[in-house]
Amino acid sequence: MKLYKKEGNILQILSFPTESAEKGDYLLVEDAEAGKALIAQVIDVQFASIPGVLEELLRTLPDGGEPIQGEDIDPLEIAPHITYIQDASLLICKIRATLQNEMLSPSSSWLPSRSLSNIKKLSIPMLMKLAKVEGKLPIILGGTKDSSLLTIDASSLDGRLNIITGKKETGKSHLSKLLMVSLIGYKATVVIFDLNGEYSSLGMTADGKRNMYYDKIHALTPAQNFKVALEQLHLNVVMGILIHALHLPGVSAREFRRTWKSLKEKGKLTLHELGEAIRDLKCNQHVRDALSSRYHALVNSGFFTDNLAEATLLEERLLKSKEQGGAIVINLRNTSTIDRQIVVEYVLGKLVDALTSWKLKAVFLFAEEAHLYLRETYWDDIVTRMRHFGIFTTFITNQPDTIRESIYRQADNIFLFNFTNEHDLDVVSRASRVDAETVRSIARDLPPHHCLTLGKVVRDFPIVTRVRALDLKTMGETRLFFKDIN
Amino acid sequence: MIEQYTITTTPKYNFPQPTIDTTLPQRFVEQSIHSLKQVKPSAFQLNQQTFQQFRIFEQHPSHLQLNRTPITLKPNHQETIIAAVDTSTIKIGETSTGIIIAIRGATVWKRKRNYRYTRLGPFIFHITEENKREVYNTLEKAYFNTYYASSHQASPTLLQMPTRLACILERWLQTMLAKTVSQGLILFDGSLTSGTPDTPAQRMKEILSIARKNSNTVLAFSKMTSLRVNGYLITDQLPNHEPPYLLETTGLRFKPPIVMLGDIYVARLNKANYAFRLDIDRETPLQHRMEALEKLLGNDLYMQGYPETLRLAHILCTFTANEVLAMQHFITRKHGIQMINRPDMHKLLFGPFGKGEIYS
Repeated sequence: MKLYKKEGNILQILSFPTESAEKGDYLLVEDAEAGKALIAQVIDVQFASIPGVLEELLRTLPDGGEPIQGEDIDPLEIAPHITYIQDASLLICKIRATLQNEMLSPSSSWLPSRSLSNIKKLSIPMLMKLAKVEGKLPIILGGTKDSSLLTIDASSLDGRLNIITGKKETGKSHLSKLLMVSLIGYKATVVIFDLNGEYSSLGMTADGKRNMYYDKIHALTPAQNFKVALEQLHLNVVMGILIHALHLPGVSAREFRRTWKSLKEKGKLTLHELGEAIRDLKCNQHVRDALSSRYHALVNSGFFTDNLAEATLLEERLLKSKEQGGAIVINLRNTSTIDRQIVVEYVLGKLVDALTSWKLKAVFLFAEEAHLYLRETYWDDIVTRMRHFGIFTTFITNQPDTIRESIYRQADNIFLFNFTNEHDLDVVSRASRVDAETVRSIARDLPPHHCLTLGKVVRDFPIVTRVRALDLKTMGETRLFFKDIN
Repeated sequence: MIEQYTITTTPKYNFPQPTIDTTLPQRFVEQSIHSLKQVKPSAFQLNQQTFQQFRIFEQHPSHLQLNRTPITLKPNHQETIIAAVDTSTIKIGETSTGIIIAIRGATVWKRKRNYRYTRLGPFIFHITEENKREVYNTLEKAYFNTYYASSHQASPTLLQMPTRLACILERWLQTMLAKTVSQGLILFDGSLTSGTPDTPAQRMKEILSIARKNSNTVLAFSKMTSLRVNGYLITDQLPNHEPPYLLETTGLRFKPPIVMLGDIYVARLNKANYAFRLDIDRETPLQHRMEALEKLLGNDLYMQGYPETLRLAHILCTFTANEVLAMQHFITRKHGIQMINRPDMHKLLFGPFGKGEIYS
């Protein structure tokens, strides 16, 4: 390989057919005299612009598109040299760091010698060693192209905002499950908003046996095994549900607050009593109607109960997870949009309560397709305010444009699966920890189950990984009409 | 005496016809390897302007007349083999003692609507003042039976060597076609004017004779001509007549030793506004000449009025820049010659006004 050009932080390297380098590979451009080396990542592979190639190709097709038949008597055997030159490629590389005295710096301001530089491939384990991507809490993400394992540290997810995105059926949920069970393994508390009911059976192996996570996975299905009694609710949580999920106007909210407090003082905080109180409320008819309709929405959700025996204490589950680590899976599969929002408001409110009162240290929140249940104002809340409380969110989506630009800008880690749509790539490339060229070039060519890991987990060295398999009952399969016919 | 190298003849360069003498291509290989081995591993300078040489030889004769009455031609679709030959040479670098050149030849033939080709080479030679005579004479002797070699002409200069060596290969390829094709049309690139150092008259006469014996007709097309009548190029004086047609010339004489072995025509073969000088073997009866041209019209394709078979031969032997790079790569790898790029003195001295060396 030969160094051909450097423009800004882009290197162009001439590579010959015997030297294989692909997108995503890392190269070390060593200038022994300068005592420094550049670490660059191949982001595109092009044909080198060899003069005369067009003529060479054209003359093989002179006969109306049919290749002309013939014999080449080439006694000196020049033909392999022609092929060698013709197949030379140009590697477009992004400079990631400068290596000097075994220390990495993000600088690309110096110019290595074009003629004397030695260019070689840098293996992922060596890169990880140089970048000090190691820790006491390893999570094996999967295998890299050079057959080594990519191991990240669980602490690099701690306090971070993560995004897992890619088009359908590329393996996003699989990776989120991998991260989730790995975190549980390190006794972390994980809460999952499970939109498709995929996470409920993670305590089972693929063949239906119990696995090591069985006792740590708590699946809660609203209106079934997940109900709450009004008595257990804090007023702030209820107000959150009414205002944000059920869009209760301000005046009506004030009236509701008064009614709630009055019932609580009387020790009569039940659904039945609340209904009665709203019916008997002496106020403007519109206010009463507004409260009445919200009340019926709460009742119809099936999420609230007056029977304390069937009410689930979310806090208890969370505290149990705190000791040994565990996941609370909120199964939102068969829940309507309004009910979903009610449940999410409740869970988030409870989490903030538990974290504020230091009952919980921190929670890893996994939110699949969050735009379907997260209210507008929560986005910024989650990534700014709630992060300080200890809610560390991982968004999982196949529609990257549903996540706000401000979220991308603040994302610490991005696990990017294949995207072919330009618009999707545009959106993801707005993330501050990634450069647009890398995203556009590498993500477009990622095969299924391969993920481009970007951000702090890999110390800003984007790495392509084939996500390792998990022996878990995933239940994420799409129901098919023709499955049995074929 | 040249040291003989044992060249294993692989099927790759064994010629299919057992009757054909393959001594010449074998000598080309031997001389090529021998000359390259003589280069001491040293730096060699890349050409600042690589040039391809195609021979352009014409003198200005007197008394040339052009009959502007067209001889109309009618395409004859009777199945006829059309074969063409062309060679090319290029200088690919310089050493402290000489030049490194490459030569390649191609024959193309059309039969039953299909084109096929055989490409011979490239042969790479390191030519120096010391070895040029030896290389040239060895190759001359190899095919032309020592009869013509070395005695009748002065040794070529270093700059003439690429053309001379290419000429030897071209004449050999023409002979092979004349021997192997029968009842066909053989297209040459250039004219049938001979008696030059490149093309001794006797050699060309023999080629034409062999072609006639095998009932072939030789048609030589010149891409460019400097023949003029009344001050105008003969190919520019086209009558207002529907092509295809021929214009006959008369009165062309050269001073000895130059001899014309063909009669010269201007051929406009299709509606494209291009005409070419066409030399037809003088010994071919007039009737056969017209029949041959009509068969050519009925059997070959035309791009800008030029036969496709000959165009392919030219395309296939021409060196591309990619091939020049590959040959430079071969020389470096196989013979350890390090390449350097000396500054172009023209560019260095005259900046944007320096156009580089101009070879003639």
